[in-house]
Amino acid sequence: MSALASPRTMLTLLVVGLLATFPLWGSAYFVGRVFSPALFLGIAALSLAFLAGYGGMISLAQMTIFGLAGYGYGVLTVTHGQPWWVGVIGGLAAATLAAFLFGLVAVRTRGIYFLMITLALGMVVYALANQNRSIFGGHTGILGIRAPEVSGHLLTERALFYELCLAVALASYLGVRYLLRTPFGLTLQAVRDNPRRLAALGYHVALHRLAAFTFAGFLAACGGLLGVWYNGAISPTTIDVTRLINVLVMAVIGGLASVEGAFLGALAFVLVTNFASSFTERFNTVIGLTFLAIVLFSPEGLSGLVARPVELLRRQSRARQRARDELDELSVQQAIGHQDE
Amino acid sequence: MTWTQFITVTLNGLTLAALYFLVAVGFTLIFGLMRVVNLAHGSLYLFGGYVGWAAAERSGNWILGAVTAAAVAAVTGLALQQALLRPIQGQDLREALVTIGVSIVAADLMLAQWGGFTYGFSPPRSISGGARLPVLDIGYPKYRLFLLAFAVFVGLALWLLLTRTRLGITIRAAIDDRDMVSAVGINVQRLFALMFAFGAGLAGLAGVIGGSAFSIASGEDARYLLASLIVVIIGGMGSLPGTAVASLLVALVEQYSLALFPTYAAIVSFLLMVVVLALRPQGLFGRPA
Repeated sequence: MSALASPRTMLTLLVVGLLATFPLWGSAYFVGRVFSPALFLGIAALSLAFLAGYGGMISLAQMTIFGLAGYGYGVLTVTHGQPWWVGVIGGLAAATLAAFLFGLVAVRTRGIYFLMITLALGMVVYALANQNRSIFGGHTGILGIRAPEVSGHLLTERALFYELCLAVALASYLGVRYLLRTPFGLTLQAVRDNPRRLAALGYHVALHRLAAFTFAGFLAACGGLLGVWYNGAISPTTIDVTRLINVLVMAVIGGLASVEGAFLGALAFVLVTNFASSFTERFNTVIGLTFLAIVLFSPEGLSGLVARPVELLRRQSRARQRARDELDELSVQQAIGHQDE
Repeated sequence: MTWTQFITVTLNGLTLAALYFLVAVGFTLIFGLMRVVNLAHGSLYLFGGYVGWAAAERSGNWILGAVTAAAVAAVTGLALQQALLRPIQGQDLREALVTIGVSIVAADLMLAQWGGFTYGFSPPRSISGGARLPVLDIGYPKYRLFLLAFAVFVGLALWLLLTRTRLGITIRAAIDDRDMVSAVGINVQRLFALMFAFGAGLAGLAGVIGGSAFSIASGEDARYLLASLIVVIIGGMGSLPGTAVASLLVALVEQYSLALFPTYAAIVSFLLMVVVLALRPQGLFGRPA
């Protein structure tokens, strides 16, 4: 088992171990109010990072899909009094179907058009949720949503909910990492880089993008269910334009193309909103300025900030190594030269 | 729907279309020329509205308020373009992200300055109050008719500018081929700055014009950004006639569906967008990218 001994694997195991045991040694506030929301928001950010980084699609509708899963669960369990598992299946199905429909509309466009269309779709759904009383409950939304109860434990009990979020987040993360290594994932990245060539090779470009968008929608929906359990209610504010953009902010803070960064970005975002709000009312300004600074100065986000020095060090040590090799070679040549004399 | 109701809803649709046109035309022209999607366009609308309200309130002069709004918004837009967008010119996604960041900060700062209150304007007496429409024989607010006439005037003026003047020809040439225009010795950067300031100024002016028909409050920025987005997605990015036609289409459809089935009106705008995109992904008047 030499793979186990590699520093990377050790580090991963350490991080997962620390995260899994966090409720045992972490403060209740951090477990319940910081890490749990960071994990389920991170799943939404992950779905965006996956689309943006590997599919070349910056979608601003991820939070809409996140919210639609919550609406689906709320409508089924509260309005129609169905058991929780019907709500879970129905919520996931409704949100994934919505993602599929959004995808049908948007995947034929690229780049900036894709961003605009997904933003418009998200804002239209917000307007609908705000206007419509019969299904969406209008401006108030749906209140009194209860999380599932499994063998006497409500899933929103602090430690239990945290572990659930962690499990779903890990599964989504591993799912994305796995998917990117499958032929589908590789084709998707090729589509991102050169759609025309892929089309010429006989691949159905739009279908690949649609499949990726639907998959990302499913991920966002999983996060959305956790989110609605956490909040116990859902209203149009959950999917308003600020929230749609917040997911983008998280993904950008973490590094738009980085799947690990999505969670890092969500954590940073939750920390900033929680702590900045205690000393300034203008925490949205703080967030906006951070976002601007990252977009302008460090497009790879926080992970870029970490990765850049590491890369620099590596390059330096490589250069030093090369210099040493050259020196060695030189001395060898000199030695040979001496011998010749 | 009775005949009178039908006429009123139609007139409401037409005047709303006029406002959508005023807001969206700057958005689409900026995109057409510079490939910049300015997602802070709604913020400029709202900012213009607030500043115009403050100026009109201080001076007691509505026209002065409107002029101030246009000037301040134009300068703000110019500063945004020169300071933040010019260094990353040509990277369209990054430019869009920067304007998103600006819109977040702007929304928050405007909320801090003007709070969550609703502000109303009082336009000059000559264009306020009601009017009796001659042939249709129904009453309708004069101001709304003014709004309609003003938008038609702006549309015609822009059309004449773009088709009949040297500046307009340069702009249209730059929309088609920036590099060539630059190569024949025209200062494209100055053209960009001018267009950005103009589009921003128009958004600010629309803030006062539209705010006088409805009102100004926080959250309006998102509403008019959405309107601009849908109008240019349907009309085709960068097209003046496309913006006019799409404004009419979007506003009329919105008003009719609000009158007929109020709680599902948003779905109709959605369907409109879907149908257009399915048939012509580049919008009604857009050219294939």
